Parts: sequence; C-alpha cells; structure tokens
Amino acid sequence: MRLETIKSLRWADFFLYTITDPRELYRRIKQKDPDPFILSFIIPAVIVLFDILALSLMGKETGFFYYKMSYGWILVFIYAVFKIIVYSSLVDVTAQFFGCRGNIREILTIANFSIFPMVFFLPAFYLFTVINFAPGFFYVFFSILFFIWYVMIFVQGISEMHSIDFGKSFVIFIIPALFIGIVLFLITILLIITGIGFLTA
Amino acid sequence: MERQRKIMVAILALLAVIAVIAVVDIGLKIEKKSKSEIKMSLPEFGPGVGIVRVEGAIEISGPSGAFGLPQGAEAVIARLSELEKDSNIKAIVLRINSPGGTVAATQEIYEKLWKLRKKNIILVASMGDVAASGGYYIASACNYIVANYGTITGSIGVIVYSPNLKRLFDKFGIEMNVIKSGKYKDILATHRDMTTEERSLLQEMIDLSYNKFIKDIALGRNMNQEDIRPIADGRVMNGETALKNKLIDQLGTFEDAILKAKELAALDADAPVYDQNDSPFQELFGSIKNIFLGNIGLGSELFYNPHRIEYRYMQ
Repeated sequence: MRLETIKSLRWADFFLYTITDPRELYRRIKQKDPDPFILSFIIPAVIVLFDILALSLMGKETGFFYYKMSYGWILVFIYAVFKIIVYSSLVDVTAQFFGCRGNIREILTIANFSIFPMVFFLPAFYLFTVINFAPGFFYVFFSILFFIWYVMIFVQGISEMHSIDFGKSFVIFIIPALFIGIVLFLITILLIITGIGFLTA
Repeated sequence: MERQRKIMVAILALLAVIAVIAVVDIGLKIEKKSKSEIKMSLPEFGPGVGIVRVEGAIEISGPSGAFGLPQGAEAVIARLSELEKDSNIKAIVLRINSPGGTVAATQEIYEKLWKLRKKNIILVASMGDVAASGGYYIASACNYIVANYGTITGSIGVIVYSPNLKRLFDKFGIEMNVIKSGKYKDILATHRDMTTEERSLLQEMIDLSYNKFIKDIALGRNMNQEDIRPIADGRVMNGETALKNKLIDQLGTFEDAILKAKELAALDADAPVYDQNDSPFQELFGSIKNIFLGNIGLGSELFYNPHRIEYRYMQ
C-alpha cells in the first residue's frame, strides 16, 4: 500500500463498511481499491493482542505477562491465521459443493474483516473490570455478542459474494463448523479410549 | 464520505489508546504486586533436610504407578536412595501416616533407614494420624521420634488371619477340590477348620517375626527388649502414652520434627527443606488411574487380601 493510498484514507472504508454494511464491504473487496488482502491480516493480529489483554485484565498478572504480549502474541497470531485459513478453505469448498464459484482469496479477506467488531471487546470489557462489576459474566456475555456479530458479517459477505440468499449462505457457513465439531468429537473419544487403555493396562 | 473515514480512523486511534492504557494498567499492577511481596521465591539450595512420606499400607507393589514408577515400599526406598546420593541432605524427616503393612516391606524400609543412620544421616520420624505396628517399626529406625498427642501408635505385634467359612460352605453344600503337594500347602484355607499342626506352624512364624520386631525396636530405640515386651502386646496408644512408655521422644508437629532434624544435623533454622514433589503430570495420571481402577478412598481396602503375615494395626 503506497503512502498516497494511506493518506487518502480509502483503506478506512473496509473497516467502516464491516460495521455499517457488510454487503458493501464485499463489493469494496471485489473492487480492490486498494487491495485489502494484506491489510485484512492486521485484524487477526490486533484481535489476538486485545484478547491477551482482556484475559490478562481478568487474572492476577506476573512478569510472565510481558512474554505473553511478545512471544505469546506471535504464537497465538500464527494459530489464529491458521484457523482462519482452514475455516475459510472449508467454507470455500462447501460453497463450491453448493454450485457456487470458489475464490479463497476473497473468502479469506471476508473472514478477516468479519472478526473486526471483536476489537470493541476490549473497551467494552475493560469498563466492567475498572468498575469491578461482574467482569467474568461480561467477558462471556461480550464474547457471545461479538461472536454473533462476526457470524452475521461473514454470512452476509458469503451471501453477497455468491449472490445467494442469507439462509443458504448461513448453511455454507455452518457446515464446516459441524464438520470440525464432529471430527474433534471423534478425536476426543478416541483419545479418551486410548488414555483409559493406557492407564488401566 | 471523507468525514466518515476520519471518524473511523479516530475510532481506530482510540482503540489503540485503550490498548496502551490496558498494558500500562496491567504493568503497574505487576509492579505494585512485586513491591508488596517482601519474600522472593528463589530456588532452594544448599545443605538441608529431605522429606520422605510413608502413606497408607506398607507393601511391595512393584512398578505399577503412572509411567511405571515404583509404588508402596519401593517408592519409599527409592526416595531414601535419592536423598542418600544427594550431598546436600544432612537430615531426613520421615513423615509416617500408616497402620503398617507386610513384614517384608516393613523390614526393607527399616533396613534402608538403618543403613542411612549408620552413614550418620540424621533421621527424625514425624507421626501423623496413625503410625502403628509396621508404621512404628520403621519409625523406630530413626534417631528421634516426634508424634502428635492424638497420633495412634503402638500395636506392636504380628498378625495373620483368615475367615473360617466351613459352616457357610456346609450350609450351601459347597465342597472344594484341593490337590496339593504337601499337607500345609493350603494352610489358611477358608473352607475347613485349621489343624493344630497348622496353627502351631503359623504361631512359630508369627513368634519369629514378633521377636525380630522387638529386637529391631530395642536396637533403634536403644532400649532393652525386656522393657518393650510388657507393652508389645498389640495395644494401641496415643502420643502421650507412647511418650510415657518411651516409644517416642517428643510430642509435636511435623514442623517441630523438621526443626528437630535441623537442630540434630547442626543446620540453620532457615535451612532448606526438600519435600518430595511429584510432577503435575504424575499426579494427574496417578489420580485418573486410581479412579479407573476403583482405588478411591476406602476402595482399595475392600479388595484387601487378608492372607498375609503383617505388622499391622487392624482398624
């Protein structure tokens, strides 16, 4: 992204439309003015940092906090990007299964921008830790609230991308989640059985 | 549009400021906490006291623990050997909470302790809830014994028992087919009465183990065997009575025992104490294993095999 583009503030449109109009967000992504692909990866990096801060505000911190903020941040960012890539790929495969045109680059960009509202988690949660009013409850409450917001943006993005209705795009979004859930459940069962076998042998 | 963009940038800037404030806030809390903590937790090193814990029935159960680690008497001996090799260990406190156990396992621990005592490593026994029979036997190998007022100790003696279910077998018409190589091979069989010869054979064995018990206590406590025999009739006693009978040296707590060990080993009062610590993984897998094997609380006692000769206080 050139300095001129940064100065023009056109990049701010992506963040603005993520919140105000997710369908318009997709149209802007498609226009590539500027190309938001690299920019979109800043969001998971910031979200991970804010997540670490929010969790740290909950507990009694030690000097280990600085390691969490440095090495921990890098590791969790890599893990977050890995999750986004895997999930976006599965969404793309599911969309193709439903007869839609695949475009992993666009799906990845939508997925990254979808999590943008989670940046508001820290200020919202911080307020309740400062006044010490049920921070644990509000941590869970805001997590659910912002997750729903994320889903709404992602599903609308898919809907706009493939020109399909909201219901069908929600199915495309949810199938990978069910698939991952079933796979993890089976892995857990296998691990428990293996663990019991090992311990009781 | 330009205005909206500027508002968005302002929001992003505000978020960045909030993140910085949060970092500073957490940093200040950490600094405040570290200032309020006077004592720094540094790793302990240098000459000190090692702790060995003897919990539950004493028996040789082999390397059946989590990760194939030794359990029972073998674990206690392994811990003692570990401390023996450590040049920092000048004294050992044996924390006993046991009603005793099998003769061989108890004697193995006793012999190991005696070996350490001969190497001039100070041994102090600290008795918990129960340190009776075999539990007392191993304590007697120590230079000094500390017990609580309410510790159950004593029960000096040997026992073997088996139920006689002959009448029950007769009632249900059950007969056992026994093919044996010698007349004593099914000694302690539950389906018939015990013969006089069998009884005298077992009694002889019990008497020999009992005499060994008395001899070892007398050696460890530096007493005459004849002074011990009058109270070595299987009676249990609390710490106070045990002190009167000279079976222990002092009434006190685990902490008192550690202080005494430091004093006897000419160590400073703040000398380090090296307790035995299982790794969290060992504890976790040990607990899970016990749950799956049904060894929870009294569970193991339900499957207790009584056909053993034991230095044990029958609770």
